[in-house]
Amino acid sequence: MRRAALVVSVVAAAALAAGCGGSGSGSGSGSASGAPVSGGTLRAGIPDNPDYLDPGLSYTNEGWEILEATNNGLVTFKKAAGGAGAQIVPDIAAAMPAVTDGGRTYTFHVRPNVMFSPPVSRAVKPSDFKFSIERLFRVDSGGLAFFTGIQGANAYAKTRKGGISGIVANDAKGTITFHLSQPDGTFLDYMATPFAFVLPTGTPSKDISTLPQWRIATGPYEISKYVPKQQLVMTRNPNFHQWTPDSPAGHLNSISVQIGITPEQSVNEIADGQLDWYFESVPPDRLTELKARYPSQVHLFTRNNTTYFSMNERLAPFNKLAVRQAVNYAISRPALVKIFGGQGTPTENILPPGFGSAFQPHHLYPHDVQKARELIQQAGAEGASVTVWGHNTDPTPKAVQYMAGVLNSIGLHATVKTEDESVYWPTIASQKGDPQIAFNDWNEDYPESQDWLDVLLNGEHIVNVGNNDASNTNVPAYNRMIDAAKRMPLGPARNAIWAKLDELYMKNDAGWAPFMNRQWPKFVSPHLHGLVFNGTYFELLPSMWLSP
Amino acid sequence: MTVEIEAVAVPGGRGGLALAWRRLRRNPAALVSAAMLIAILLACFPLAPVFVHLACNHGPNDQNIQGFIHQGGHRIPVVRADGTPIGPGLRTCYMLGADANGRDLAVRILYGGRISLFVGITSALLCVAIALVLGLVAGYTGGIVDSVVGRLLDLIWAFPVYLLAVALATTLAVGGLSVGPLHVSSSSLAIPIVVIAVVFVPYVARPIRGQVLSLRRMEFVEAAVATGAGPMRIMLFELLPNIASITLVMLTLIVANNILVEAALSFLGVGVPVLTPSWGNIIEQGYSSIVTAPALTVAPGIAIMVTVVALNVLGDALRDALDPHARIRIR
Repeated sequence: MRRAALVVSVVAAAALAAGCGGSGSGSGSGSASGAPVSGGTLRAGIPDNPDYLDPGLSYTNEGWEILEATNNGLVTFKKAAGGAGAQIVPDIAAAMPAVTDGGRTYTFHVRPNVMFSPPVSRAVKPSDFKFSIERLFRVDSGGLAFFTGIQGANAYAKTRKGGISGIVANDAKGTITFHLSQPDGTFLDYMATPFAFVLPTGTPSKDISTLPQWRIATGPYEISKYVPKQQLVMTRNPNFHQWTPDSPAGHLNSISVQIGITPEQSVNEIADGQLDWYFESVPPDRLTELKARYPSQVHLFTRNNTTYFSMNERLAPFNKLAVRQAVNYAISRPALVKIFGGQGTPTENILPPGFGSAFQPHHLYPHDVQKARELIQQAGAEGASVTVWGHNTDPTPKAVQYMAGVLNSIGLHATVKTEDESVYWPTIASQKGDPQIAFNDWNEDYPESQDWLDVLLNGEHIVNVGNNDASNTNVPAYNRMIDAAKRMPLGPARNAIWAKLDELYMKNDAGWAPFMNRQWPKFVSPHLHGLVFNGTYFELLPSMWLSP
Repeated sequence: MTVEIEAVAVPGGRGGLALAWRRLRRNPAALVSAAMLIAILLACFPLAPVFVHLACNHGPNDQNIQGFIHQGGHRIPVVRADGTPIGPGLRTCYMLGADANGRDLAVRILYGGRISLFVGITSALLCVAIALVLGLVAGYTGGIVDSVVGRLLDLIWAFPVYLLAVALATTLAVGGLSVGPLHVSSSSLAIPIVVIAVVFVPYVARPIRGQVLSLRRMEFVEAAVATGAGPMRIMLFELLPNIASITLVMLTLIVANNILVEAALSFLGVGVPVLTPSWGNIIEQGYSSIVTAPALTVAPGIAIMVTVVALNVLGDALRDALDPHARIRIR
């Protein structure tokens, strides 16, 4: 589940991808000053282990930031900020694919000279891509939903035998062809996500995060050391040779990530010159002070994000619509934004404002605690026990406490459960974890509304592990609307359906309590330059450089 | 923590208690400490609701993020748009300021004191009760019972206190505590109370056992045996009164210690449930804002410090007052 960071120039990005107009919002590059200097070690910090260092499994911004620097796919979002960062360009593919059969067939030619890092040290082959996509189904990847539109994928998901018939790799000719069951306007967006990054054939069908012999890179860096809870080191991939300007070679010699640095600690260490960069945003309570003391080192970016509480529709009392609606009435969205240090804008919508005409703000739930109490009484849910889940990275615990306090005030009996952030996201994405109500946030995988409504709310994609539909929302009529919209070309007509679905979900299902479109303030070393925020990959490590 | 007790029998009786009280009254530090403890208890228990009434009727868990207060003709937000809560000031509402959730810090410290003191006192009582039973039985019966109890205490003693407490609390925080038909929810206050009590049992039981070992050889015990008194009667009516003063001293010190442990466990997220204010929880929840809102950490820290120092000074004074050797010094 994509949480934490994500940024950017979302509005412009969406305008490009979704074919909509819209006013631009900040994106961009950070403190670029002068020509980039090569060399040096970036001293980075992260509060906890990244979820996975496996492209097939990682689904957090931290994981994707790392993997973007180490691995590649057939295509990529341009390694740029702003609207340019939403553009899909060839990566290991020699050119953009030939699209035939009415948008159902995509044929790529694979570059012959892209090498895997040691110990594999051989050229990437088309069959490696076929293997990597099929592996997603064998490891129960959270990105499965992106690839079930390939012919034979659903059958392979059940049998896991014989391969996916709709992927045809020809190593001799250097081509790989994807046959889709139906046209999908965002297929190339899926192929640009880290889920489609290539791994060598033979990679085990299990998490390779702690298996250095299988953490094989194609990008400018490789993960040379990973000691969970201690340190992660990225050094240059000796087999990397830049093949396109869209696959930058990187300026830094190495990146040393210290694991276990709290947000508060990161601010102090960056101010003291002990740290250059931190994966997470500035603690909300420090932002005002930092802006005043270090104005040139603070960067604030808008992001395509929705921060929300998901209510599990399979579990009492949230299996009742009235209870879910009551929660939406009871919360004060501006209050929750304050808990996040004012780093965002309140929202009732599922979709973020960056998605152009797909974003039509609605106001179905004015703050009304009395009405919420009445709904709870009508539902017969008074006194029902509820556990509010959240992770332990500030200020989420405060938001979780706020929600628990609100639930208590409307007649439920709420307690709080917080978990270490490294285990929180996989836990709530598992039906075994089964939280009743959980803090959640979502950042773009690719710049189109489908990434929200299809991935997060289409009940056809509910799985036991790596489940993105945290509310277990499954409304067949809406599922069909999503499926129909997915087949449409990008543009206003498609966006109109997304906007309608946004309202329908919130009005008639209310499995979410969205409250904020979050922003992303960063505090970095004065020596760090080349900050580029990409909507999908977030901060691009290969673009960063250190001044002497 | 170590508890040092001289293995000297302290015969009970009104004379002894009267003398102890006389010594205690002559110790100004003890009197100040006792007064402070009484003040803290009064403030946290009967007076807390009164203060809530004065402090704009905000209970300890009332979140008022969007609220305002009026001071000096100004309308001041309880929590600013950038998330910074109001700080301490000369006013009744939010006297010590608010936390990020708009909760009144002063009110939370008073109600948090209730929980911290309750956990500290009840866990100390439970600890001392268990330790008394084990110490009396082991010390009086000796033999295999003494060996078994001794090894059990050694087993607990072998673990660092905080490590054991965190391990137990974390385990119980997942599924609660089930003993036969009895189930204690993981969000129950009973969990930290039991955990804190159990980890300190050896530190209290061992000195008690030592006392009982020395007392059982004394003439008054032999006389009781000669009159046909059974072991239970001897333990309850002969030995227990003679270790009461020592137990009282240890109880005072253990209460202080347990308040600190509660704060530590709550700070680590495995103590008192998050939504229940305790001094440890308040510190934990304010810790992330220590630079911009230091009162959130400093104020409950001071409350803990004052209480613990007062309890320790009173405990020391009680020990001095009840120490038989002190009688010579007074004369």
